[in-house]
Amino acid sequence: MREKRTIVIDPVTRIEGHAKITLHLDEQGEVSDAQFHVTQFRGFEKLCEGRPFTEMPSLMARICGICPVSHLIASAKACDAILAVRIPPTADQLRRIINMAQIVQSHALSVFHLSSPDLLLGMDADPAKSNLWGVYERDPQLARDGIRLRQFGQQIVERLGGKRIHPAWVVPGGVSEPLSQQDRDAILASIPEALAIAVRTLAWFKTISETFREEIGSFGNFPSLFMGMVKDDGRITFYDGKIRIGDATGNLLADGLHATRYYEYLGEKVESSSYLKSAYYKPKGYPEGMYRVGPLARLNVADRCGTERADQELAEFKELQRAAVLSSFHYHQARLIEILYCVERLEQLLNDPEILSKHVRAEAKPNALEGIGASEAPRGTLFHHYKIDEQGLVRWANLIIATGQNNLAMNRSVLQVAKHYVHNDRLTAGMLNRVEAVIRAYDPCLSCSTHALGQMALNIQLLSADGQVLDEVAR
Amino acid sequence: MSRVLIIGYGNPLRGDDSAGWRAAEALVRRPWDPGVEIITRHQLTPELADAVSGSAVVFFVDAGLGDIPGTVTCSRVVPQTPPNAFSHQLSPGAVLGLARELYGKLPEAFTFSICGERFEMGEALSQKVAENLPELVERVAAMAGAAEGARPENDSAQVNDWVVPDR
Repeated sequence: MREKRTIVIDPVTRIEGHAKITLHLDEQGEVSDAQFHVTQFRGFEKLCEGRPFTEMPSLMARICGICPVSHLIASAKACDAILAVRIPPTADQLRRIINMAQIVQSHALSVFHLSSPDLLLGMDADPAKSNLWGVYERDPQLARDGIRLRQFGQQIVERLGGKRIHPAWVVPGGVSEPLSQQDRDAILASIPEALAIAVRTLAWFKTISETFREEIGSFGNFPSLFMGMVKDDGRITFYDGKIRIGDATGNLLADGLHATRYYEYLGEKVESSSYLKSAYYKPKGYPEGMYRVGPLARLNVADRCGTERADQELAEFKELQRAAVLSSFHYHQARLIEILYCVERLEQLLNDPEILSKHVRAEAKPNALEGIGASEAPRGTLFHHYKIDEQGLVRWANLIIATGQNNLAMNRSVLQVAKHYVHNDRLTAGMLNRVEAVIRAYDPCLSCSTHALGQMALNIQLLSADGQVLDEVAR
Repeated sequence: MSRVLIIGYGNPLRGDDSAGWRAAEALVRRPWDPGVEIITRHQLTPELADAVSGSAVVFFVDAGLGDIPGTVTCSRVVPQTPPNAFSHQLSPGAVLGLARELYGKLPEAFTFSICGERFEMGEALSQKVAENLPELVERVAAMAGAAEGARPENDSAQVNDWVVPDR
């Protein structure tokens, strides 16, 4: 009998984020457990304490360089609640537009820049080629499409928010400036190209996904709950709506939940091995209340999108598995469907004449000492919760981000991939890449760490029980 | 598409790293021909390859490391195919290489860099970078102005004349 061993992947990270993976092997050399640890600590909630609540949107946008708009919106909605105002209808629509633009660019980053090397070149591709440049060589049109789609989303954010990253245009009470006709027309003019890219990329993905049957079967393919926002009629929404929670059989466990009462049905557990909290659905307890958020979850719980092409794709998507779509590999396809939906929906919103209304902000002073804002970010449902004092200074803040809500599922997915692909004490590049790829499917926002495929500062050690290094792979 | 593209990049919250960004902001306040586009970015990303490929001349303006803080240098950018790497941040040569690879266009390109002294958190420039920022702005403006006014596309012979010798 062999001794128990541990494989440590440390760091699975890059500049802004730090994470590691531990794989535990039993005496037979089979994987018995896996943990995904986030080892960075940010403490944004603490940084907010003592600051005026009106600063929160622009301060919170600094949390992330990829999805600042999501934090901006959830934060502004929390501040709207503190002001107790109903923002002008046009401001509501403009916030939806900038949120969807950001979802398009963020999803495009995930699909085209980060995961396309795996998808186009294969999981076992030469690591020296398994990167964006390998994609450029193999399929330059795909690369150009990725660039154009990212630009499409970024330019909308820039036109509305004044800059691509960390715009401060979304403010408590609405937005700071109305949309000009010139900008509206320019965005509308760019929609046909974005739509064409979304359509052909989805067609391409559905073709190549046939070659990933083993990965579909082993990449987070297990029962879990799924959570997302929907409108009252069951359509998908990214800006506001009620929370819906479904299970693996496709049944709804909860519907019509108010996002502002999240603390009644969502819990967070702190594990000593990670700075990333693990969220769970309270009625099921921990860890049985594991749920997934983001594109896969949103499409699982939504009845329809409400736009023509996206609805066709959604119907096809829901046929991928017998009940709910369980495999996290399908996050990629869900992402592409959401891009398609966003482009179609953007066109609808921008063609509404009221979108050019100059009345875009409601002014008020604080009328409540507590506010909760929630929206759908690219990676899943996002909650901002603030308490202020009589002077308007933040005294307490709590953020529940998508990556934390996917934490339990990511851990389980790493375990499933490792159990499927690791069967001895020798490490292979294909195994490592799949461990990264399953994390990448969730597109976690703990630093773009899992985004830097091909050049991650990846160092994996295989240790014996007494700490002896049995094998090591680094790149 | 612009004939002349000026990209000022860096982190505006990391001291001297904001020098390229600030130079671009100073340049954009000047009167320019519509063919000149000036943008700011935190870092160079693959998306820039599209805009770069549509320009005749590109200037990358940045802060860098070196021995003498405040020193302004200019050099021609050579297109590169990066090693097996991708991050959110590319070098000017990689952006140029990408423009050639994906769009079949290779504009003339130059970097202007000012040697930084401190890159800690904060919006303030070090004294030496602050003193020499006007020189950076003037040198970029001089070259961009020459490119805007006289340069026929793809005439590399003339571009050599515009490179201001480093001091």
